[in-house]
Amino acid sequence: MSLQCRHLRLSIADKVICKDLKISFNPGEFWGIMGINGVGKTTLLKSLIGLHEVDTENDKNMCIQLNNQSIYSYKRLELAQKTGIMLQEYEYNFPSTVLEATLIGRHPFLNQWQIEDTHDEQLALQALKRAGLEKLSQRALSTLSGGEKRRVNLATLLTQNPDYYLLDEPVNHLDLKAQMDILTLLSNQFKNSGQCGIMVIHDPNLAWRFCDHILLLFNKGEWLAGDTQQILTKDNLSRLYDCKIQQAGNGKNDTFFSPVLESEGIGVK
Amino acid sequence: MLINNKFLFLTCLILLVLISFVFSLLTGSSKLSSNDIISLFNGTASPLLQTLIFELRLPRALAAFAAGALLSLAGVLMQVLLRNPLADPYVLGVSGGSALAALLAMLMGVNSLLMTGSAFIGALISILLVFVFSHQSGSWTVSRLLLTGIILASGWGAMISFILVIAPAEQVHGMLFWLMGDLSYDRPLLPAYLILLCGLIFSMLISRQLNIMLWGDLQAGSLGIQIKNLRLKIFFLSSLMTAGAITLAGSIGFVGLVIPHLVRLVLGTDHRYLLPASALTGGALLIIADTLARTILSPQQLPVGILTALIGVPLFLYLLKKST
Repeated sequence: MSLQCRHLRLSIADKVICKDLKISFNPGEFWGIMGINGVGKTTLLKSLIGLHEVDTENDKNMCIQLNNQSIYSYKRLELAQKTGIMLQEYEYNFPSTVLEATLIGRHPFLNQWQIEDTHDEQLALQALKRAGLEKLSQRALSTLSGGEKRRVNLATLLTQNPDYYLLDEPVNHLDLKAQMDILTLLSNQFKNSGQCGIMVIHDPNLAWRFCDHILLLFNKGEWLAGDTQQILTKDNLSRLYDCKIQQAGNGKNDTFFSPVLESEGIGVK
Repeated sequence: MLINNKFLFLTCLILLVLISFVFSLLTGSSKLSSNDIISLFNGTASPLLQTLIFELRLPRALAAFAAGALLSLAGVLMQVLLRNPLADPYVLGVSGGSALAALLAMLMGVNSLLMTGSAFIGALISILLVFVFSHQSGSWTVSRLLLTGIILASGWGAMISFILVIAPAEQVHGMLFWLMGDLSYDRPLLPAYLILLCGLIFSMLISRQLNIMLWGDLQAGSLGIQIKNLRLKIFFLSSLMTAGAITLAGSIGFVGLVIPHLVRLVLGTDHRYLLPASALTGGALLIIADTLARTILSPQQLPVGILTALIGVPLFLYLLKKST
């Protein structure tokens, strides 16, 4: 069981996102994908579930494989039982309750005519509870704050509960405490249930704390992947962001990365 | 003010439809006495009365119901397709193509049956043109679809104006009537009801997918929906139903835009309830509007499109105010 990229080449509008990407996302792992704005992190996530065309110069069917089978050989509905994504933002202009919005996560598991039953509703309510929204299940979506809407998106993915959680900046709009809560919840889930998380994230400190593997996407298709401890160094981060990064501490919970501004000229050694 | 008991609401709507049918059958220029009504039920009514009710008023009410239901369903689907609550069934130019064909037929002086056929063919041609021009090299985006539809619609609009300008004065009145929605002439009902039945069944089949489609292509795709395929289904379903409605009753405005909105305010966005509820509400509204259209200024008849707006606008504003 794994989600693998083999010699994957991706580009968008003539801009190369990655060349010859070889990577294996395995059960129980929590990956962080980092890179500057516009480097193609979201596009990579989309390609992993077949929603963005890969470059065809190499064998398209080989490049992305789920459980040793090309993702293109899966029916969309089958794929949706194994992979799911929480997008960076949603544009939703229609009235709906929080519970209704969460229940769409059950779609891949229902027949065409089936109406969600109490079992599906229970799953959605549990997901809402885990996302900290149990009191809001009957609220109209339009009345929620930005952070609460993010939690609804997460609850939808938790209801879908796929093997591979693709998360595009899941903690943006969330306050500090909520960021810690959500990421703790996710990382525990991946550790305990053998599911896998692949998360685009900008904050190196959160990535250090919660992700056990890191993929860095540099410009022009270069990349670097591996264990967090090896990859997330101040040198690599300085190269990634083209900006001097300093590091304080080295432990699991007291490491801190922060950029050094040229004008400040102060930094930790 | 979302209603929890959705089945109760649907039942009430069915009652509303029945009441509006009765209202329409009993209202008109010749007043019915209570004896007349009783005689209708026990079969002792005079032939004249039977003709009036069953051959004049009933077909007209049935036509109004079908047109209202078709337009409302098409409106719901078009709003999903374009992911925009402000879309209506006519936004992609179907009505323009149909109206142009109908007016051309009137200009040539053909009978009403040929005109009806011509209106339907005009709608189909318009649908195909939008499809061909927006469906290029695999990409089929909402913005391209919308752009193609709107451009075509304005093209049809110009040609319609041209015909109105060159048409002989005695025909212009009939044409304007048709353009504002006209239920006063005889037309075949069966095709419209077939389209309504098939349209409702097919759209109910994809109703859960419609709910998810509103979250955007990516979310829908990641939840297992084949976007392109579904979009094509929605496009053709809503276009065909629009074509059916226009063919039946001319381009009645307002119903397709506002009925789905109105029902959503009360019932929410779950299409498994929204679709049947919109069909019933739209049908009932159009029956009532048409009954008023033929009676308020009788013997002068009004285009029903004027009445749908006159009833719908205040009703909608009231619900909107109440919901916020």
